[in-house]
Amino acid sequence: MAQFLFARFWSGLMTLFCVAVIVFIIVRVIPGDAAMMLTGAGAGVVSEQELEAVRERLGINQPLPVQFVAWVGDFVRFDLGTSIRTGAPVADEIAARFPYTLQIAVMAMVIAVVLGVPAGVLAARFTGSWIDRLLQTLSVAGLAAPSFWVGLLIILSLVTFFRWSAPLFWEPFWVSPIQSITQLIWPAIAAGLRQLALIARMTRSIMLEVLGEDYIRTARAKGLSEARVIFRHGLTNGSLPIVTLIGFEFAALFGSLIITETVFNVPGLGQYVITAIMNRDYPAAQAVVLLLAGIVVIGNLLVDLIYGWLDPRMRLKGKPS
Amino acid sequence: MKVRELGLSGSLPRRSVLKAAAGALLGSAVLPSMAWAQAPVPGGTLRVSSGGDPPDFDLHQTTTYLTQHVGAPCYSTLMRVDPANPTQLLPDLAEKFEVSDDGLTVTFTLRQGVKFHDGTDLTVDDVIYSLNRVKAPPSGIVSPRRGLLGNIATIEPVGAAGLKITLSQPQPDFPLLVSNPFNVIYPKAVVEPLDAEGVGMKRKIVGTGAFKLGRSIDGQLYELERNEAYFGTPAHLDKIQFFPIRGEIERGVALQGERIDACFLFASEAVLTTLREAPGVTALRRPTPTFINLIPNVTQKPFDDVRVREALSLAIDRSAFIATVGPLAGAFYHSYGLLLPGSDYQLSTDEIREFAGYDTLPDAGGDIEANRARARELLKEAGVPEGFKVSLLARGDLPAFRDSSINVASQLNAIGFDASVDVRDAGAFATAENRGEFQLVVHSVAVSGSLPDQILGEGYTSFGGRNYGKWEDPSLDDLYRAQSREPDVEKRKALIRDFQLAFMKTFYHINLAWVGYGAAHSDRVKGWSALPDIYTNMQLDNVYLEG
Repeated sequence: MAQFLFARFWSGLMTLFCVAVIVFIIVRVIPGDAAMMLTGAGAGVVSEQELEAVRERLGINQPLPVQFVAWVGDFVRFDLGTSIRTGAPVADEIAARFPYTLQIAVMAMVIAVVLGVPAGVLAARFTGSWIDRLLQTLSVAGLAAPSFWVGLLIILSLVTFFRWSAPLFWEPFWVSPIQSITQLIWPAIAAGLRQLALIARMTRSIMLEVLGEDYIRTARAKGLSEARVIFRHGLTNGSLPIVTLIGFEFAALFGSLIITETVFNVPGLGQYVITAIMNRDYPAAQAVVLLLAGIVVIGNLLVDLIYGWLDPRMRLKGKPS
Repeated sequence: MKVRELGLSGSLPRRSVLKAAAGALLGSAVLPSMAWAQAPVPGGTLRVSSGGDPPDFDLHQTTTYLTQHVGAPCYSTLMRVDPANPTQLLPDLAEKFEVSDDGLTVTFTLRQGVKFHDGTDLTVDDVIYSLNRVKAPPSGIVSPRRGLLGNIATIEPVGAAGLKITLSQPQPDFPLLVSNPFNVIYPKAVVEPLDAEGVGMKRKIVGTGAFKLGRSIDGQLYELERNEAYFGTPAHLDKIQFFPIRGEIERGVALQGERIDACFLFASEAVLTTLREAPGVTALRRPTPTFINLIPNVTQKPFDDVRVREALSLAIDRSAFIATVGPLAGAFYHSYGLLLPGSDYQLSTDEIREFAGYDTLPDAGGDIEANRARARELLKEAGVPEGFKVSLLARGDLPAFRDSSINVASQLNAIGFDASVDVRDAGAFATAENRGEFQLVVHSVAVSGSLPDQILGEGYTSFGGRNYGKWEDPSLDDLYRAQSREPDVEKRKALIRDFQLAFMKTFYHINLAWVGYGAAHSDRVKGWSALPDIYTNMQLDNVYLEG
């Protein structure tokens, strides 16, 4: 198990390093540098000498390998640098915005699990019925609809029917939990719809397989209630792939939130990284992309750990089959 | 020494000017309270929505209204523009100013007892450092409007409260230029060390204005609080809150829903139309010093040939352009000439018709088909083949650039070009434009004020910063300088006319339309009036909420 964990950890580190190299290069090959965006030189009113002085101060006139080594060196010491756009520490700006992103992700996943698993079980239990067909149709629709489109539909509907508009001030969860949940419920629904559909389909598929097993027939023959048969014996034994999916999707959800936050004007990491990229704010863009990659890597690592905990065969084998 | 009338034009006896200054001082102190004496309700919070977060708080370094609108209530300038008459100045940090007989020296007398938000006293050194910072910023600090103060030769203290500015040449507009809303005064003790770090006042607001920064939450809220130690009449409002809402539709909905009280910038006519019809909301649009120009790169063939540039101008039906792009970008306005629509410097209809293509401006009586036939002839004479490929560099995030370029491309195709639009994001656009890597560009040029020295100096000289087409013509620059130093109103008007006539026949810039930005506020908001630029009169110290 230790060997397995070490291998996964090492693989995660390598992934992060590759992401760091790629994001570092990508943000710099986009035409237009940070000095130009910072000074508003697009308006043509800043001299080339002034631009050079700003580049010098920012260190972006150094050779790329030098810049990369400096950035990685700072990063491993947990110094994410200073935002070129705002002049504030990137770590502080991320800390102010990450809670909103995290909260939406958690709420989206809770919605997806709370609705998706029962929907999948229901579809499997009544397979072939109108309930099954309806849920299948809805899940396909949920998979097909992009979250930004769903977000726009939600906003338009709320504005049209309820004269709703996005809050002026998004309350942090720790200040006013109820208000915060109320405010973020719509972005969470928009973001969580795809995960809901995926989980429902996966649960249905697993449950169909499990409910045909001998031990389920035995449980029914023993006279157990249908609910107990399904949830105690069926769902428990079929939970492994569902948990895996939830883990993977939770990590992947952070990426899709970039668009959802922009649509709803939520001051989270998504909006922050878009602004950073548009303004060639290299430290901010790099830090956020690396953070999101780190969440995916850690999410995968946790899934592997949970896998081993749920399935003793994994621990015995030392690595997944 | 004699004194010029608040830096505009014409000379006045010293006594008259001192009286005027005293009157103005009295006016600033008394008139607002008299004018609002019927109703000014102290207290309350004005909720304003802007189109995004201010990227930083340094007004000297910024080019965006997002920074200026949050900063203006917190800072002061030497003098401030009279909202009732934008060609006149009122006292602000300076009680008065005097201009020498030869027009080369302007002496300001500062108020005494003015304190910055951090409790320190305003000194002459603060003013000198701030003005020098704009004119010649320290290394690592940028100054997009240094041209405003480019005529300053020296700045010297005169006693504890005097400031003598010597100019390189007389400049009647100078007192207005030095009092531009971006030229705010910083405390030297605060800003100098920050400049040495290359950061400046990006993260701090320490001014002498009627409000001070309470809290700022990036992406959410910028809250200003009344400065109880303000040197002038205390502000009526307790607080001003700025909420960044990027979408204009969303801002309009928030205003209609009474969740905000005002939004001082709208471009979309669709949104403004809705707001005009909304009960309890005042919505307006006025011309602002922003103009949309088609700019050929004269370093690239065939645009070095004036006949080709003239053909470009002939191709454009300006009325159609305004009708199409106007609702998208607020480009509803036109000017006969290079200066602000409705200004005293506009050319006559006969004069404007002399310039190829400009007869398609509204009410100029032109024939676009005849123009385009002439354009084809000119292209043929210049050896430009039918179907010649041209690319218009366009910035994708702003309708004034993107939609204008699309419109112009389709109009150029009507004279035989094969025109396409190269849409890029702001950074890529700026890089290509600054390097001159384009054939044609449609640029929405936003200038920091409406004065001739600002529009002509920044927009239409080879050195002014907006020379994207890389043209060189010392005679035009000389004509600009000649009008800039002329104190006599009528003579100056004639020189400005000469400049316009000389510039327009070069077709270095081909003017298409002028942009007018909208503003809207609840009827509860009193004490604010829209001026012909989006930066002036944004101190909001006279604003109050009714009811």
